[in-house]
Amino acid sequence: MLRVDNLQVVRGRETVLSGVSLALQAGEVLGVLGPNGAGKSTLLGALCGELTAAEGDVFLHERPLAQWSGPERARRLAVLPQVSTLGFAFRVEDVVGMGRLPHGSGLVRDAEIITAALQAADAAHLRDRSYLALSGGERQRVHLARVLAQLWPGDGGVTLLLDEPTSALDPLHQHTTLQAVRDFADRGAAVLVILHDLNLAARYCDRILLLQNGRPYALDTPQRVLQPEGVKAVFGLDVLVQPHPERGHPLIIAR
Amino acid sequence: MRLSARVIGFTAAMLFHPWALAVETLPQHWVSAGGALTEWVVAMGGEGKLVGVDTTSQHPDSVKALHSIGYQRALSAEGILSLAPRPDILIGTEEMGPPPVLQQIRAAGVGVEMFDSKPELPTLQANLLHLGRLLGDEAHAGQLFDDYRQQLARHQAWVRQAEAQHPAPGVILMLGHMGAKPLVGGPGTVADWMITQAGGHNLATQPGYKNFSTEVLAALDPQVIVFADRTLSGNAAIAALLKDNPALANTRAVKDKRIVQVDPTLLVGGLGPRLPASLGSLSQAFYPDAKPVQ
Amino acid sequence: MRPMLAPRILFIGLGGLCLLATWLSLALGPVSLPLLDTLRAGLHLAGLPLSGQGLEQAEMILGQIRLPRTLLGLAVGAVLALAGVAMQGLFRNPLADPGLVGVSSGAALGAAVAIVCGSALGGLPSFLEPYLLSACAFLGGLAVTALVYRLGRKDGQTSVAVMLLAGVALTALASSAVGLFTYLADDATLRTLTFWNLGSLNGASYQRLWPLLLIALGVALWLPRRAQALNALLLGESEARHLGIEVERLKRELVLCTALGVGAAVAAAGLIGFVGLVVPHLVRQVAGPDHRVLLPASLLAGASLVLFADLIARMALAPAELPIGIVTAFLGAPFFLYLLVRGRP
Repeated sequence: MLRVDNLQVVRGRETVLSGVSLALQAGEVLGVLGPNGAGKSTLLGALCGELTAAEGDVFLHERPLAQWSGPERARRLAVLPQVSTLGFAFRVEDVVGMGRLPHGSGLVRDAEIITAALQAADAAHLRDRSYLALSGGERQRVHLARVLAQLWPGDGGVTLLLDEPTSALDPLHQHTTLQAVRDFADRGAAVLVILHDLNLAARYCDRILLLQNGRPYALDTPQRVLQPEGVKAVFGLDVLVQPHPERGHPLIIAR
Repeated sequence: MRLSARVIGFTAAMLFHPWALAVETLPQHWVSAGGALTEWVVAMGGEGKLVGVDTTSQHPDSVKALHSIGYQRALSAEGILSLAPRPDILIGTEEMGPPPVLQQIRAAGVGVEMFDSKPELPTLQANLLHLGRLLGDEAHAGQLFDDYRQQLARHQAWVRQAEAQHPAPGVILMLGHMGAKPLVGGPGTVADWMITQAGGHNLATQPGYKNFSTEVLAALDPQVIVFADRTLSGNAAIAALLKDNPALANTRAVKDKRIVQVDPTLLVGGLGPRLPASLGSLSQAFYPDAKPVQ
Repeated sequence: MRPMLAPRILFIGLGGLCLLATWLSLALGPVSLPLLDTLRAGLHLAGLPLSGQGLEQAEMILGQIRLPRTLLGLAVGAVLALAGVAMQGLFRNPLADPGLVGVSSGAALGAAVAIVCGSALGGLPSFLEPYLLSACAFLGGLAVTALVYRLGRKDGQTSVAVMLLAGVALTALASSAVGLFTYLADDATLRTLTFWNLGSLNGASYQRLWPLLLIALGVALWLPRRAQALNALLLGESEARHLGIEVERLKRELVLCTALGVGAAVAAAGLIGFVGLVVPHLVRQVAGPDHRVLLPASLLAGASLVLFADLIARMALAPAELPIGIVTAFLGAPFFLYLLVRGRP
């Protein structure tokens, strides 16, 4: 799906990211973790083509990203940024509808997809509201619905990149959002999500990439990556790691 | 277009005496866009023919009662055509405009006559004769010009006498608006013409009306200041002028209290009929020791 | 959420308003023509063989004075409003105005050069003068906008923020240059400059009209095709790119449409303010920010506004005329303040 070998990104004279190699598989959720300034957003920027890599081409379905035309690429790859600066009073329905722009699927099909995407992002009740009247968390869910709509239904080899989709959400919605992302991946999409909450990452991700100072520290399952030594080395935090009583995934507890 | 009626009418007219023909085709309803021109039309007895004038036409008082067609450079074709009775001629200086509107007016069958506004006697003569032709009274026009020229000649004689005894004073003419930002009249303006005719020496050398800084004005140090204000008059105008330009207080003109007022409408649109009369007071101010002008 | 007008109702309403404005603009004027005469003149101009008393006068007024003037008003209003929408989309700000990219001040500068240098050359032959003025204004507007655009470009990307600042700086520079020319001008030329700066539909003629009509038609046909892309641009430049839109190309198109459209409008009618700012804003309050509705609706609303303003300009002081720029400012500014005070929904 989305693949990169030995990615290196340079800003000015500084190398902000180097030596990152990864390959996103269909049906998996890959979490990217790391302290501030570790290069997470830079990685996402390079993967979606916003930033040019000094080394290491990004391949989407084995074709270099740069060779994809705009709408073609947009049908296979969607990006949810961390903040949105939309300042106009669109109806929520219309904001989500913008996700269908790269497609020529027609009004009826688009309407169905918008409904389904809003449902998946738990934002169906916001459908007729004005975007500007929503809270920060509600707005985030609307944009999630938008990118889901862009790639709906999720099969056919699509890739979704998310930059901290839970930052403004309350605990319930943090989980419902990531569950929606999980469901989307189960339908066949490849998902890369930047998270800052270790426990959320442990629960919802199939693999985790841990970044430190622009270099990959580890890339493996949560069980293997989220160990006390690793967490201490990267985050400087003393933790205990125990299995979740009901689900079994690692639970990281600060000491 | 109905050609037959017009052809018949034209042929009929041709059968008449040339004088009768001329009277028929003289414009009867006039619109004037230029203060001085309006005054000349009135001076030649044509006031009854005027149906509309522009905003610069302020004299005599009776023309102010006529319909205003607005500023001469922003005329409206439909506006002029809407005057009742419908005008058949529009007169004005070359400042009249905008040009597309003049074209529209011509296309509507209204004659448009342009007059030169240069402040020179030969120009005035040509203009007066042209107006006279249009009014059907060239003789009157000729006489008016001769009177004008004689008045000026008399005045010139007086000035030459005065100049023999006293040097010509350095003069500045300032045109202002409530005392603020006055423009100074240089060569090529009516202001310059007035100063020269009255025997003064215009200290402004830049052509046209220009802003001078008060420093420059103070440096020029005029002996007489001639002042025209568009809104105020009398002592209020002088007070406003001095308040807004304090550097003038050091000039000889202000110290000797040699400040003369003129009517600003005299300065617009070429030489007008009231100018010779106003020269008297100017010359008096320039040569206060000479014997009075008759 | 405030109930918005359904698009269908909006278009019927605005379309009707525009037709009414056009009708009034043709039927009313300082010369009071009987309605029947106006109708007959209109039909005769359209080709029907009619004749009668007073027909010639009515035809002349209608065909030579009012019809070109109405067409000019429609074109200017439409193109200024569309440019306003384009700029508010480009800068992603409802307070943006076509003048931000410098086209208005550039056009004013071009006109000042033409007016002052024209008189310095001893006065051009009068048939050439109106074309020279319009051409210089148009080129001036294009030149300054091109410069603003160029300054905003770096590494193949156009920074809207830099363009904004460059526009502000160049507008100031152009205005100072106009001030310099104003100083160099004599009293008569000065007056011409002032009146040009106030804007007017006076003296509209078919020859000077057709370049603007062509450009206005082009802009009016082109921009609505980019409506959905404009919507996406409001999300943000990267978001729009992620939706597959060629953002750099879109920005270039928006600047070009504005430069050509506003340049032509200013060249034909002088500076007419507030239409580009107020009309899109008003329409957005009523119809929402979706450009698929906003663009055509603003076109109709802008055209109507200019025609109504021109009606006031022509009739308020008849037989004299007010510059239309004054009327649009008098109508636009208080309305704008009212909107601000009322607050956003």
